[in-house]
This record gives sequence, C-alpha cells and structure tokens, in this order.
Amino acid sequence: MSVRILISTKVGRATHWVLHDVLHRSASQLPGRVALSIDPQLLSHVREKVSRGFVVVCGTNGKTTTTNLIAAMLEEHGDVVLCNRDGANMAAGVASALLPLRDADWAVLEADELSTIHILPQLRPTYLVLLNLFRDQLDRAGEIDHVQDVIASALEQSPETTLLVCGDDPLSMGVAARAHARGTRVLAFGVDEDLGLPTDRVPEARFCQQCGAELDYAYRTYAQLGAFRCPSCGFGRPTLDYAARNVKVGREGVSFSLVEKGGRTEWRIHADFGGVYMVYNVLATAAVCERAGVGGSCLQRALDAYDPHNGRLQSFVVDGREVVLNLAKNPTGLNQNVSLLLADGRPKAVCVVINDNYNDGRDVSWLWDVDFERMATDDQVVRVMAGGLRAHDLQVRLKYAGIPARCVEGVADALSAVGDLPVEQPLYVLTNYSALEPARHELERAGEPHGRK
Amino acid sequence: MNHMGGSEAGLRIAHLFPELLNLYGDTGNVLVLRKRLEWRGITCDVREVHVGERPSFSDVDIVFIGGGSDREQRIVCDYLLVEREELVSYVEDGGVLLAVCGGYQLLGHSYLMGDEEVRGLSLVDLYTDRGSPRLIGNVVVRSRISPQPIVGYENHGGRTHLGADVEPLGSVVHGFGNDGSSGYEGCLYRNVVGTYVHGPLLPKNPGVADWLIARALERRYGNDAVERLLAPLDDAEELEANRVMCERLT
Repeated sequence: MSVRILISTKVGRATHWVLHDVLHRSASQLPGRVALSIDPQLLSHVREKVSRGFVVVCGTNGKTTTTNLIAAMLEEHGDVVLCNRDGANMAAGVASALLPLRDADWAVLEADELSTIHILPQLRPTYLVLLNLFRDQLDRAGEIDHVQDVIASALEQSPETTLLVCGDDPLSMGVAARAHARGTRVLAFGVDEDLGLPTDRVPEARFCQQCGAELDYAYRTYAQLGAFRCPSCGFGRPTLDYAARNVKVGREGVSFSLVEKGGRTEWRIHADFGGVYMVYNVLATAAVCERAGVGGSCLQRALDAYDPHNGRLQSFVVDGREVVLNLAKNPTGLNQNVSLLLADGRPKAVCVVINDNYNDGRDVSWLWDVDFERMATDDQVVRVMAGGLRAHDLQVRLKYAGIPARCVEGVADALSAVGDLPVEQPLYVLTNYSALEPARHELERAGEPHGRK
Repeated sequence: MNHMGGSEAGLRIAHLFPELLNLYGDTGNVLVLRKRLEWRGITCDVREVHVGERPSFSDVDIVFIGGGSDREQRIVCDYLLVEREELVSYVEDGGVLLAVCGGYQLLGHSYLMGDEEVRGLSLVDLYTDRGSPRLIGNVVVRSRISPQPIVGYENHGGRTHLGADVEPLGSVVHGFGNDGSSGYEGCLYRNVVGTYVHGPLLPKNPGVADWLIARALERRYGNDAVERLLAPLDDAEELEANRVMCERLT
C-alpha cells in the first residue's frame, strides 16, 4: 500500500471523525472528497480490501432502496459489507463509504448515473445493476440519450463488469445493446407476465431508439417498462435470465417467484411494502443474491426486517393519524406514488411538496408530465395540499387537473390542515429530494414510527 | 365556470407530434388552452398529429409545436418540410401558432444539430446557431401580449437571431433569452409566438394563453368575438404563481 493511499485514507477518516463525532454533521460526502483530492486513484487502490466483489447500483428510481436491500441481504448471509446507505451517490459519496478501509467481503454502492464514468473505470465492479432510466432533472443530467452514452462508456472502461439490467426497459436495454456490442456481458431481469394493472401515461420511449419505429408491447407493467418489441428492426426485450412470475401486487405489498433461466433456482419472495416498481427493486436484489451464491432465505429475512428510516415509504403515527412519507422526484416516481395511494382504499389526504433546490433540479416543468388527473376522479382522495418552494406551481398544475388544492408551509402545517378529518384517514406526504429530510425530521419529532402492516 | 348562453363556439387545436416533441412538460400548454376554452363554454377539439400523418391546417385554429431532443426534432422537421406550403398559408392567413424551445427553432430558416446545418420551415425570418454554454435557468420576460411578465424556464444550446422585420416576443428581465446578449426573447410574427420559455409556458402566464385564444377567436368568429366569447376567468392561483416567481427573480 502506497504512502499516498495511507495518507489519503487517514485524512479522510479524520475528516469523518471531526464531522460525525465532534460536529455531529453528516459525513457522507466530505471525507471522500478530501481523500480523493489527495489520492485521485483511491477507488482503484481500495479494491484489494474487498475480497468477494463490488456491486454498483444505478438507475433513475429505486437506487437507494435496492442498494440497501442488497447490502442487508448479504449481511443476513454473514458477510461484511461496505455501503453508502444514505444515498450519497457521486464519486465523493462512494469514496466516503469505502474509507473505513477494513477488510470486507462485499462493497455495495449506489452510483448516480452520470457518476458511473468516474466510478466504474477505477472500481471495476463485479456487477453493475441498471434498474431503469426515466426523464429526470433535464437541466442537470441532460437528455436521456446523454445519460445512456455515459453509462455505456463507463462499462466499456470496465470490461470485467457484468451488466445486470432491467430487460423490460427499452431505455436501459439501449445501454445494454451498446455495451454488449463492445464486449460487456449482459444478464437481464424482468416481469414475465401481464399484471393487468392500469398503466400510467408513458411520456418517453414510445419509439425504438435503434430505428425510430413505434414499439409494440405485449403488455406494460408501468411507465415504458414491459414486454416490448420493435416491429421494424426487432430490438426488443431479451430472454430473461431472471424472471418474476406469479406476481402479486396489492395493499399488502408485493410477491413473486424468481425463476432463473437455467432452472437453478425458483424462490417465492414476498415484501410487505411498495407497488409494482418494488417488484423490480426486489427482483434485481434477488438476481444479485443468486449470482452471489446466497440462499433465498437470506433475502427473505432482509426483506422482513427492512425498515430503512430514510423517508422512502416510511410510516408514522401523529396524533393517532397514519402519515406515509415517500420520495417522488420525477414524473414516473410521482405516478407510481399516485398508483400506490389510489390502491389504499381508505379515504385519505395528500400533501405533495416540491422544492427547486440544486439537487432537485431547478426546472419544475415535469409536474405537467405527472398524471395527477387520476387523483381527481377518485372520491377517496378527500383533500390535496401543495407545499415546498414551488407550492404555487404545483397548485396551478393541480387546478388544471381538476383538483382544488391549498398551499401549505410544511408538513406541520399540512397536519393541522387535516385536523378536521377523522384520524382513520391517513395523510400521504410525497416530497422531492431536498424536501424529504426536513419532512422526515418533522414527522419524527411530531409522531412515532408506525410498524408496517 | 362561465357558460356563454347559447354559444356554439368551438376551436380546434392541432398538437404536432406530441409523442416526439414533449421534452419539458409541453403537453401542459395544450391542457391550459383546452381548459381555458372549456371554462368559457367554448368547445375545444384537440387533434394530435402523429408521425406519418398528413396534417391539414385548413380547419385548425391553434397549432402547437413543443420541443424535443435533437434526434426527435430531426425526425419531425423532415416530416414537416413536406407540409411547408400548407403551414406557410396557415401562418400568412393569420393562423395562431405557438412554438416552444426546439419547436421555436424549427420556425426559422435553419438550425444546427451538432455541426450540421438543418433546414427549418422558414415560417419566420430567423435562424439559429449554437453557442457555449447552454443557457439554462429561470427566465422573466416583459411582453406586450401579456399584462404580467412572462415567467418560466429556458434550457437551450441554440442562439436564435431574428430578421430585421421580426418583432421579439419581449425583453429579457431575468435570464438569457434568444442569444444571451441581445436582451430579447422569442419572436412575434403575425399570430405566431415562438419562445425558449419551455414546457408549461401558459399555466403561469394566462395572459399569453388568452392572447392566443383571442387571436384564434377573432380569426374564426370576427372582430367582436373576443368581447362576446372571451369571458374573464378567476386566475388567482395562476397570477399568484407568476407573482411569487417574479418577486423571487427580480
């Protein structure tokens, strides 16, 4: 081990100690940034400390949850795991997670899509999990074509990495096609049956990226995900290496059978949370689990114990009322949240909180791509509120969806605004990125955690 | 809601290639036009024009063109060039047309895709080249067609240059506008509005929406149509959203 890596990791860890133990501040970014400034090759130098492998997880939606599930599943197996659990997913966040520099069996790392180009060439992970690609933060991330190019280039510079990709997503498969052509090994997972769910609007990828013809679908699961095929050039969903069959999605969560193509494995898996998008997160986790030679029982135990306290689908009780908090930071995320709350048969109130800070994306145009109209026609949605720095933009959007909404200051204000509703009626709080932590802290102060049903 | 007693008025909107030109919540503009017509008891028929169809503009009152990625914009332009003559007659006849972002660039003689010069529709005397960096951020524009400042978001690499006889949509109060240096934003030619204020231009700028509707009503129903048909609406939420952003930015 070089002097430089010793110094960089020691200084990085000292930074962590000052931030975390002395100042009680978040230490998810700065230690890694400091260490990387001393040793830019830090990521490649820590490779040898991890004995079994690296898993990097990227994709527009579901990264943090999937990363946490994979880490938890490996820990249930008894492995030592390094992980950036709190979702700090740029190169500095990834480096911070690796700084403890203790010997570990696995490192499981969430990576921002555009950061893959800084992370993959140095880390050369065993697997890159690509969950999905949706339109998100156009002002910062650029158009989807650009994001695809970046991930494909990152894979090209990490030839030993196997791409574990959502075969149902034409946009992720676009990356896989480019990477495969340059020699990357590709394994695909997907949902192998028609779930018969009402599908939301599809704002993107209606056309084949290879030839421009309109894609055909045998069925869709959500957004542009499904059994797609281009009638003109044949670009389509590949044979699934890991398929979910006998899928159930409902109020009590999701369950499915994982079927491995070679017939090695058939597990029944159940998670008592989430909607159809969660099938994909769990399916990706199950595929890693199977590749890692870990039994399905470890995954099931990880799912049973899953309670991340990170504001993703977290439940609280405040003055007797259930409050469900979830992240919704782009049209697909919000559409999935609307599906989730409409599936809850109880009368309910909804508060959507939209900020436009840097890490949210400054441009809130995407609110007009969200299918809020579905809430307008459901009489179980008894009250809707708009919050955050762009509350007024949201209020106008809701008005044109046929939903009269009032503006609220924050979650506490929303709670008092539903004070006249019976406490049996839950409040759903959906926030984008920078509004999530403040909302979670407010709810933790005001109430107590609610055990999942 | 206002219902004009006995009114049988109706307008038809042609939404060009919604599946390709929909980069920044562009469909919001069509939704706003439709709702603001319906709230006034004016029926509204939205006709989506898809790739491969031959659109006719003879019975259309408002044409909307959104923005897309370079690749999608190229597909659209190739289709539209075939219909150029028809579009030219529509525009010269006073037809109302709103073009946003990439759609705005298509109105001109040419624009650049990478280093390649792509021929545009030449509906308006303007052209677009490129500059660095991209011009990204909130934008506020003062325009004679809207009582309130126009507020929205821009995100474009293109720099658009207006011919001498083309009026800009307005003057930039905050942000970049057409080219980041002229101080002007968008174009106004006959009843054509082109602008880089993308996506939901109309929701927070009801003045612009009603200007477009007014011009379309006049063209179809005569000069007194605005007075007869364009009843005032309660725009409290829209104007508050406009005011909040204007105050924050200026």
